[in-house]
Amino acid sequence: MTATTPEIITASTTPGWQRWLRRHGWTTGVWLLLVAMTIWYSTLIPRFGAFEVSTIVNNSLPLVYLAVAQAVIVIAGGIDLGVGGMLVLVNVTAARFMLDQPFGMTLLIAVLVVIGAAALNGGVGWVINVSRVPDIVITLGTLFIYQGMALAILPNPGGGTSDGFRWIFTGSEVGIGRNPWPAIVMIIVPVLLVAWWMGKTRSGLSLYAIGSNRTAAYLSGINAARAKITAYAIGGAFAAMAGLAVTAIAGRGNPNIVGGNFTLNSVAAIVLGGVALTGGIGSVIGAVAAGIVLFFLNPILTAMGVDPNRAQIIRGLLIVLVMMVAGLLELRRQRRS
Amino acid sequence: MSTDIAPMEAAAESRVTTAMRWLAAHPNVGLIGVLVSLVLVTTAIEPNYLSLTGFRGTAVFAVPIGIMAAGQTILMLTAGIDLSVAMIATGAAYAAANQSPNGAVVAILLGLLVGVLAGSANGIGVGVFRVNPLIMTLAMAGILLGLFTSWAQTIFSGATQAVGFIRTIGGGSTLDGRLPWSVLVWVAVAVFVIYMLRRTGFGRMLYALGDNPVATRLSGARSWQVLLLAYALSGFLAAIAGILLAGRIGNVDLSLAGFLLLPSVAAAVIGGTSIFGGSGTYTGTILGALILGVLQSMLTFLGAGVAVQQIVYGSIVVALAWLYASIARSA
Repeated sequence: MTATTPEIITASTTPGWQRWLRRHGWTTGVWLLLVAMTIWYSTLIPRFGAFEVSTIVNNSLPLVYLAVAQAVIVIAGGIDLGVGGMLVLVNVTAARFMLDQPFGMTLLIAVLVVIGAAALNGGVGWVINVSRVPDIVITLGTLFIYQGMALAILPNPGGGTSDGFRWIFTGSEVGIGRNPWPAIVMIIVPVLLVAWWMGKTRSGLSLYAIGSNRTAAYLSGINAARAKITAYAIGGAFAAMAGLAVTAIAGRGNPNIVGGNFTLNSVAAIVLGGVALTGGIGSVIGAVAAGIVLFFLNPILTAMGVDPNRAQIIRGLLIVLVMMVAGLLELRRQRRS
Repeated sequence: MSTDIAPMEAAAESRVTTAMRWLAAHPNVGLIGVLVSLVLVTTAIEPNYLSLTGFRGTAVFAVPIGIMAAGQTILMLTAGIDLSVAMIATGAAYAAANQSPNGAVVAILLGLLVGVLAGSANGIGVGVFRVNPLIMTLAMAGILLGLFTSWAQTIFSGATQAVGFIRTIGGGSTLDGRLPWSVLVWVAVAVFVIYMLRRTGFGRMLYALGDNPVATRLSGARSWQVLLLAYALSGFLAAIAGILLAGRIGNVDLSLAGFLLLPSVAAAVIGGTSIFGGSGTYTGTILGALILGVLQSMLTFLGAGVAVQQIVYGSIVVALAWLYASIARSA
């Protein structure tokens, strides 16, 4: 009898632990990868201080925001190829209207731009919902439209912003400095807010519901149309944050940024972050880590003395490799159950 | 639909429904309608457009889009997509231009080889290792860009000018400058692809795989072989498009075909190919590419800047896709 008591205890605790690992294993893995990369990077370069941390956090901001935008939409069963276009559109709109404005005014413009982007992309969600055209087709169209609008608003690189606004995203009034905290706060606060909303509230969970099975969600009384529009609106707001971050980092607007490339990187980031492209699985927390990891590869490979073109190849191979491993894991899980 | 025409007589209503149903069964007729009206609008803007020279410009612009979109159509039928076509085309063109001093045959063969190899790698990733096509081809585009950027300084340093023969088939014409050679190449590709999709077992397998992959596998098809071949074919077609483009432009750099990626997807989508697989035709895609070509000519005549062009481009994709969906539903 005495021998079976610990047996029972372990038996009752293991499933809970296993369940946690199964649910959050991938996200944890990506964060551990990020930590490992940071440690490795600190041994690679002679000096690893506030400046290096700040550079990496600042410059990964756009991709992180876009990854969160894409994650919210993909979890809700969609995909938004337009997020990269939205980044460019917001970048130039903000830079054009913020030029020579005082700090308070730039802040107001930033808020208005984010709200406008949310409304615009929410409208895209509405069009997808009404037309029942696949998300990828409509947002392919909006990618063109946003990029065109950006060119119409600011035909040539230019515009500007206030020093205070640059500080908010980069911790420096010139866009690059030794203070990583503003950027870290600008990531953590909105992301935790969205993560809490998606994980704990009724309206947030309905995104997972329509992403995993739209018909079942609809039949169980979820307003599928509203959930979809909300997902696109939040995605638009985060894409706008990415655009604002670019404005703050560069200090100006550039309509010639290829939005499509940003979109493609955001898709790669969420897949690496454990969000299933079929919808309903994953979290924004994983997408954040994956966004930083994807950006982080560049400085690491540079520090290793790898030529930047090779870095591009290694990055591509790594993404494919991770996907193969994920596919094999999924296959094994299916066979077992 | 019925609410809009409720006041009308029942006979008129049934006629409209019949027309809708007929249109849904013959989507290409609708596309031809769109194409003709676009041509008429363009002619109204610029009367000189309604001539051989005018059409020639449109066709030459549409050729690389149409050929790349053939690969896109084939893959969309299997519920896949190829986001590396533009980079494959650029790579093939770069290799061909680089080998131009060794003669046209070597240059073209090497270019096509680049396409087939990159496409096969995509096919192995998607077909054997079940990597999501979006991710696989995206990563391939990145890998190719890296490879060719570093090769540009090593094994492919040197010539970036396409050889005379490639320039002729890409930009030259026959019949006293009336018929561009590149259009003839496109016609050959079109005949091959349409025959393959409609008349061969491989073509039917593509439709089957996109329609119901499980049933297709259970009925004995080796789906990984079908996918491998489909992706290799897409790479091959992209290489043809890239070489033609190199011939038209003459000088090749690594941003040669990048602007054609989204139009190649858009042409297939406008042509009515479902992105979820199982339905679509290459005839529709050809019309889609031509619509994009006419649109390009029209916007050029209007003196519209890139900004307006992009907005119109995007709006057309959304509008036509919406139209399709509503016609299909009301039928």
